[in-house]
Amino acid sequence: MSTVKAASPLSPPSRLRRRVDPVKIASFITLVITTFLMLLPLFFMVSTSLKSKREMLKFPPTFLPESWAWSNYTDIFETLQFGTLYKNSLIIAGFSVFGTLLSSALVAYGFARYRGRGNNFWFILLLSTMMLPYPAIMIPQFVLFSKMQWIDTFLPLIVPAFFGSAYNIFLLRQFFSTLPEELFDAGRIDGCGELRMWRTIALPLSAPALATVAIFAFIYSWNDLLTPVLYLSSSDKFTLPVGMASLTSSRFRIPPWHLLMVASVLAMVPIVTLFAIAQKQFVEGIVLTGIK
Amino acid sequence: MNKIMKSKRPAVLLTTALTAMVAISGCGGGKSAGNVAAGDSGAGNSGGSGEQVTISHYTIDSEDRTFIEKLIPEFEKEHPNIKVKVEKAPYEQFDSKLQTLIAGGNSPDVTSHYGYGGFAEYYNKDMLLDLTDLIKEDGFKAEDYNIPGNLMKIYTVNGRTYGIPVNMYVTLMLYNKDMFDAAGVSYPPSDYEDKSWTFERMVEDAKKMTLVSDDIAKTQYGVDFTWAERDMRPLYFGAEPYSEDTWTNGGVPSETHFDSPEVIAAYQKLFDLVFKDKVSPTSEWSKSVAGQNGDPFVAGKIGMSIGGSWNLAGANDFPFKIGVAAVPWGGNEQVRSTLFVDPLLILKDSKHPKEAFEWIKYLMTTEVQEKSIELSGGNPPVNTEAAEVYYKHFDGIDPQDVKKVYEGAVKYGYESYNHLITNYSQINDMFINELQPVETGHKTLEEVMPVIQKKVTEIIKR
Repeated sequence: MSTVKAASPLSPPSRLRRRVDPVKIASFITLVITTFLMLLPLFFMVSTSLKSKREMLKFPPTFLPESWAWSNYTDIFETLQFGTLYKNSLIIAGFSVFGTLLSSALVAYGFARYRGRGNNFWFILLLSTMMLPYPAIMIPQFVLFSKMQWIDTFLPLIVPAFFGSAYNIFLLRQFFSTLPEELFDAGRIDGCGELRMWRTIALPLSAPALATVAIFAFIYSWNDLLTPVLYLSSSDKFTLPVGMASLTSSRFRIPPWHLLMVASVLAMVPIVTLFAIAQKQFVEGIVLTGIK
Repeated sequence: MNKIMKSKRPAVLLTTALTAMVAISGCGGGKSAGNVAAGDSGAGNSGGSGEQVTISHYTIDSEDRTFIEKLIPEFEKEHPNIKVKVEKAPYEQFDSKLQTLIAGGNSPDVTSHYGYGGFAEYYNKDMLLDLTDLIKEDGFKAEDYNIPGNLMKIYTVNGRTYGIPVNMYVTLMLYNKDMFDAAGVSYPPSDYEDKSWTFERMVEDAKKMTLVSDDIAKTQYGVDFTWAERDMRPLYFGAEPYSEDTWTNGGVPSETHFDSPEVIAAYQKLFDLVFKDKVSPTSEWSKSVAGQNGDPFVAGKIGMSIGGSWNLAGANDFPFKIGVAAVPWGGNEQVRSTLFVDPLLILKDSKHPKEAFEWIKYLMTTEVQEKSIELSGGNPPVNTEAAEVYYKHFDGIDPQDVKKVYEGAVKYGYESYNHLITNYSQINDMFINELQPVETGHKTLEEVMPVIQKKVTEIIKR
């Protein structure tokens, strides 16, 4: 951007005559077009969510709804028990985020601040758990939780989050290692215990990294379909993805895509909100953890 | 490694972790064992004192399956010692959840083959309870529930019964009345005995309604002849791809004939609809027009559509008038319609098979079957008396037509392979993949069928 200026810093302004940079224009146009393309599916999602069942079947599809079916947004609460599903998803995601933050931050702190022999071995062991695909542990885990009588409760979906996750521990460890040792020395001089240093020094300084982890954990739990399908069986305990998958479940009906789009629009709300709140932290978090 | 061995800290950590694990699992195990003992004490004596037991019915989470929840209160009133719990999963996850439930020792009591896996697969995996003794002990008679005898035979292997039929879907023709009116073509008959309704006449009628234009919005086709699963289609012209012994051999055919001239000729006739007569859409066109609904007929772009009777259930939502007709006569005396009969099954690991059978019997009674039609939005019952109610269920369609089509379909029907051949989901996937180049016009049947023959043989032997 500034290269043009830098290349001829001494040229008189009259000769440049404020000509518009064609590269700049081209990239601007490309950006606008790509943005439009990216937003198109989103636009169709919202547009379809406002169409009537008959209009949804039309071909070629209409761009904007012919008659705006706002009632879809109230219908979804009747056809799907949408309120219950939403609440369940929020509860599970909320506890998962809390659990992930608590456990991962604690473990990561340990890995970042203590030097012990075999440190690397344990860390590599931890990271290698990332390579185990979920289906490999699915049945043993199911048997375990089933023996604990946890089937058809939220516990199998929440409790594992309190046992840390390799990726998040890795992310936070990288961040904690960048904190200057002097801060902790100062803490020690003031008579801080380790847990207190973790809580009052490490955590407040790591807001960007924690926000990143929180968003990842939330999105993971919010979108998860397989685990709730396995562990939950009664409809009053289902989560949003299960309920939405069930909308297209019938082999015998035309799926109510318009209602599914309503559900998708509403399901997006918490993620967009969370992202909007944490955006500053989130972007910073990726930049910091990525570079250092 | 040496370092680690010497270092004490990891060892301490490991010990702590192990202790914690043992503590947790021990604690959990103890608790669960206690609970099981307490909960199951009822099961032990369930035969005797009529103590309360809970049975679970595992099904697909969709309106046309979960309607049974509404039937439970009445059943529990009549059977105070039995409680019914419905467990569900979305269609796509039905099979994997069922396998996990069984592997995890949480097997449901009653279910059906509602997922991709069929009866033969369950049977061969030894998942099903042999109901023969239960039926004998109970004095259950199919006639009392108006179940046609030939339907009971479908889920009987070597004289042992493994399932009770509950719903029966047939293959029929749906047609777009508006399109017939616009082209001035007379409606096709619903009577299977009307032998003037032939495959050739269908093609002639279809030509009058086909309109291919550069504007995709204006293009419409006369007929969509996607008749049953791909491997079954030759049967319609009388060519048999699987050997006779499939039905007596536990779903394992000793021979298949997918590369025989008769079978190839039968497929050729169907593909000619697309590429020679050009009265049927290509698969690409169907996909682009139908989008995720998967059916261009629903979008009003097809005159006649051969499909399962489940398509009727959505009929009240279609943006045009529809009628039902017989599947035209393909020149073969027997097979014109595929039957898809869904049974209720009791799983082998069921702890309360007797109570589960009570629940199945309840679902089979005429009164409940009649109620189920309305509650499910149009599931066709096997109970012939309840079927009378089913025929009247569809707005704008003459009940006489539905009845004729159903009765003709049963007379000229053939039970679908998809429930009765082993490893069927793999066979079906393979067919979809291998036939794709033919459907898009990139390969000929002569090139593809020997490959399919080889692959089917391999899958069956698995």
